[in-house]
Amino acid sequence: MAKNRTEVADIDRSLYDFTYGEEGFERLAAGITPDIVREISSKKDEPEWMLELRLKSLDIFNRFPNPTWGPGIDGLDMDNIVTYVKPNTDQKHDWDSVPDDIKNTFERLGIPEAERSYLAGVGAQYDSELVYHNMQDTASKMGIVYSGIEEALHDPQWEPIIRENFMTVIPPTDHKFAALHGAVWSGGSFVYVPAGTKLDFPLQSYFRLNAKGAGQFEHTLIIVEDDADLHFIEGCSAPKYNVANLHAGAVELIVGKRAHLRYSTIENWSKNMYNLNTKRARVDEDGEIEWISGSFGSHVGYLYPMSVLNGARARSSFTGITFAGAGQNLDTGCKVVLNAPDTTASVETKGISKSGGVQTFRSSIVATPRAEGAKATVSCQSLMLDAESRSDTIPAMDIRAKNVDVGHEATIGRIGDDKIFYLMSRGISEEEARTMIVNGFANPVSKELPLEYAVEMNNLIKLEMEGAIG
Amino acid sequence: MPDTALLHVENLTASVEEKTILHQVNLDVPAGETHVLMGPNGAGKSTLGHLVMGDPVYTVNDGRIFFDGEDVTDLTTDKRSRAGLFLSFQAPVEIPGVPLSSFLRASIAGRPGLEMKGKEFRRRVKELAAELDMDTAYLNRELGVGFSGGEKKKVEMLQLLLLQPKLAILDETDSGLDVDALSVVSRGMDAYRKSCNGSMLIITHNTRILEHLSVDRVHVMVKGHVVRTDDASLIPWIDENGFESFEREAANAAANAQ
Amino acid sequence: MKIENLNAMPAPTWSWLKMNSTSLEIDPELAPAGAAAVEVEGADACRGNDGDFEAALKLADSRFPARRAAAPGDASDRERVDAGNLDQLDVPALSTYQTQAVHLEEKCGPAESFSHGCGSETANYLRSVAQMPVVLKLAPYQKECVTVRINGVDGAISAADIQVIAGEHAELDFIVALDSPVIGTGLVGSLLSVVAAEQARVNVTCVQTLDDSWTALDASGFFLDEGARVHVQHTVLGAGKSVTGLASELWGDTSKISVDTDYLAARDQSRDFNYSIRQLGRKTESNMDANGVLTGASKKVLRGTIDLVHGCRGSEGTERESVLLANKGVDNKTVPVILCDEDDVAGNHGATIGHVRDEQLFYMACRGISAEEAEQLFITAKLENAAITAPDERIRAGIVRLGNKLVSNFEEEIA
Repeated sequence: MAKNRTEVADIDRSLYDFTYGEEGFERLAAGITPDIVREISSKKDEPEWMLELRLKSLDIFNRFPNPTWGPGIDGLDMDNIVTYVKPNTDQKHDWDSVPDDIKNTFERLGIPEAERSYLAGVGAQYDSELVYHNMQDTASKMGIVYSGIEEALHDPQWEPIIRENFMTVIPPTDHKFAALHGAVWSGGSFVYVPAGTKLDFPLQSYFRLNAKGAGQFEHTLIIVEDDADLHFIEGCSAPKYNVANLHAGAVELIVGKRAHLRYSTIENWSKNMYNLNTKRARVDEDGEIEWISGSFGSHVGYLYPMSVLNGARARSSFTGITFAGAGQNLDTGCKVVLNAPDTTASVETKGISKSGGVQTFRSSIVATPRAEGAKATVSCQSLMLDAESRSDTIPAMDIRAKNVDVGHEATIGRIGDDKIFYLMSRGISEEEARTMIVNGFANPVSKELPLEYAVEMNNLIKLEMEGAIG
Repeated sequence: MPDTALLHVENLTASVEEKTILHQVNLDVPAGETHVLMGPNGAGKSTLGHLVMGDPVYTVNDGRIFFDGEDVTDLTTDKRSRAGLFLSFQAPVEIPGVPLSSFLRASIAGRPGLEMKGKEFRRRVKELAAELDMDTAYLNRELGVGFSGGEKKKVEMLQLLLLQPKLAILDETDSGLDVDALSVVSRGMDAYRKSCNGSMLIITHNTRILEHLSVDRVHVMVKGHVVRTDDASLIPWIDENGFESFEREAANAAANAQ
Repeated sequence: MKIENLNAMPAPTWSWLKMNSTSLEIDPELAPAGAAAVEVEGADACRGNDGDFEAALKLADSRFPARRAAAPGDASDRERVDAGNLDQLDVPALSTYQTQAVHLEEKCGPAESFSHGCGSETANYLRSVAQMPVVLKLAPYQKECVTVRINGVDGAISAADIQVIAGEHAELDFIVALDSPVIGTGLVGSLLSVVAAEQARVNVTCVQTLDDSWTALDASGFFLDEGARVHVQHTVLGAGKSVTGLASELWGDTSKISVDTDYLAARDQSRDFNYSIRQLGRKTESNMDANGVLTGASKKVLRGTIDLVHGCRGSEGTERESVLLANKGVDNKTVPVILCDEDDVAGNHGATIGHVRDEQLFYMACRGISAEEAEQLFITAKLENAAITAPDERIRAGIVRLGNKLVSNFEEEIA
């Protein structure tokens, strides 16, 4: 299906790196205080329990220490981060009603076009609020709900379900930035796929952070009921500023019995972003979660989608690629908890570091005593494109069950000179040869993405590879 | 009859992953006799061998297996072994971390008349190794790890001679046995017969292995059914005609049954 | 007293996994047993003096000064940031560990970066309880075979501080035995520091056969000069709690180290290993291979770190582990880390954690071996192998003593 992807035309560097003004936007004061949390809550006119959860989370945030094992976050001064920036519009259901600057932003990112051609629904968030949400009639007729999570919170039908599940997969006590998220979250999507319903086309949410020095804290909650099937795509980007921006979103996924959920992400935050995102799936009997994850952007990245396999024979697969270039320290990987008999997990990751970038693969595979008969395989390959870069692999395994098989393989190395020579002897330039090899290296991930995203990913690689020689 | 035959398989129906692969199989091997189980690939011959030994991969849906007068259908495999059953494997598994000698000692431990002290055990194993023309250096190697096909065969025969079972089921099906391996097996069978007058059920479709053997009965298996039991004269006939006529009959019988 | 942060791995991970380090409670009543607990055999021709080891490391410092890193976060980056030529956001925000790695590279020569894997607090503790060091100094081309036995003394801390300087082309076979020949409780410790000069060969065999009432604390550090070869065999069979640390620095080009570990843990014993190999020279090679069996309610943590430092062009590091979990009550933790700051390298690791497979169980059952006996067989095999390869009779006797507790008739079986 996919054509020769290396022939994709050069992309415009300004594709992600453009900004618009904030006229008519509402910006809260910087910093994180109980007053700011209350103000966010009151603007949203949300139920009392949510304010309580926010304040409890804030308390946890203040008490928990910064992580000491991961990339440095000294450059992130929480007192300078604006947690809430409301664009000059409410959420719309057609692009024509969206203000021009914002509409242009998403046009340039190709979102409306993608929606027309192959998506079943799209949500678009600009800074702290959703500006657009729409789903095709066919999907809504199937009983599928795809809406802004705040919109759903105001709907008496969905409020109890959100209340029952919100921040239960990722409790605020999980880590400092999960607590921060709980305190100041804003925007994000809610998806409900009823039992037995299978959606053939993906839903996509796109998160754009335009505001300088701001944070984005969207919350995604997806419930895929028994025997249902969904593919969800998440995209994100931001223009580059010379001050730190923060992204601390949360993605909570609940996968029912025999249900299947594929969650694909291409993360391309600008290189001033601290991406401290948390994603987690809870999977019931015979259910399956598939994570597809491409991490290209951010100054600092902490990202480890986690699968908690609570039902017998539940499955998790993680396919990820991380590309760390100049100025980046990306600490990515995944976590799996095998918590029921005969559960299985597979992890396949690729890491690339270049131009002084730092890339760390970090994982944990935990098999609890309940996980008799569980199996896990982890395969991790890292490619060093020059000697100035760095690539670390830190995989942890904790196995406490009987009859468990865990296999782990990792390799680190560079592109063999013989491969470059071979390609060059066939008339291919060195730069092209390297790009070709790196694309090939990334192929196990890109082949899992819808074609359009695979092309985007290869373009990103090409962009990163420019000037790789000399 | 259960009280006369050493091995008595009665009406055995068995399946793997809900697919029935043996249908109401009946088979007797009286003590002291040598029987051959033949049939085309995939007929269920090895399955029968594994079932007699109690391989948990297979499910017994119906029927019983009697050995030496006892109903062994529900016995675990190790207990069947200790009751005097032996199954030689076509492809013995590799067990890294366990030297052959430790394994052998564990297999005779607690068997009346077979258990030996360290020195006695080593002497006995060395004797048997010599008989099979086997390098004693193997004894300290990890079981099966890096062994060639012929070496694996020798290890199987060594165990046959060490354990002296009442019935040896020798699974030679699908064997790409080379001349060396064939001679190892032949030598092993000879020595076994001589040492304890054991009974044998040889699973094969290679008649060469039977050349120097006095065979009492031949059973032919097709598609999970025992379709014919006869004397040794059946062997040259099969050599000549193959299994096609049995397969045709089975197909006809199946068609009639419908 | 309690030693915290013992056997900490260089690059830590999530603290909730409780794998980053261990701690050790030491009964304050235990008094140092002194020289009485330590026997040295075969060292007459290579006795050195206190201070020889420090001098050898100082010499190494002059051969290999600290280098200015040209890797993420190095001095030139920091200068450009300070001069305003580079924004802080254009430089990777290093983790605490990565910052420390840059510091080690820029500021520390062999003497300062020399360590034992257990942490400096523990090393100092062992040094202080051992009182006088045992110093072995081999002249160039000298060949020796030395055995040090550290025997547990009831109610005491029995420890040795062993310092080895193997001169150019020297060859040393060195055996350390940690044993508890008497009934009692206490701590048995060993701190081994080795300088292997150019082309020297050092083989270390360390066998630990303590009974359950004892604690083992064993740490070793190695400096390898050009072309040096070190092989370490750790056989860890006993002790209620054992802590094994090892750090090795391959400064010299083409130096090589291989570390083979065989361990067994039964009942409620615990095993803690921390291996860290830094490769700095060109074309260096490291190999770590661990093989273990866990049974009963035992626990094990193995941290293995290969650190491919900037400039170690052409180097290779490999790490393998296979663990057999023979009981459902066990807890097996493993973290095989590769840190890589150089592109022209090959780093590999693999881990297999498993149980006795169904087809193996069936095969053994066909030979009359029950599932329980099959698991026992793996334990017996581990002990037998240790007994067969034991470097001498006394060590063998220690293994047999342990074996008799786990396996009936063990002594007779291997006689």
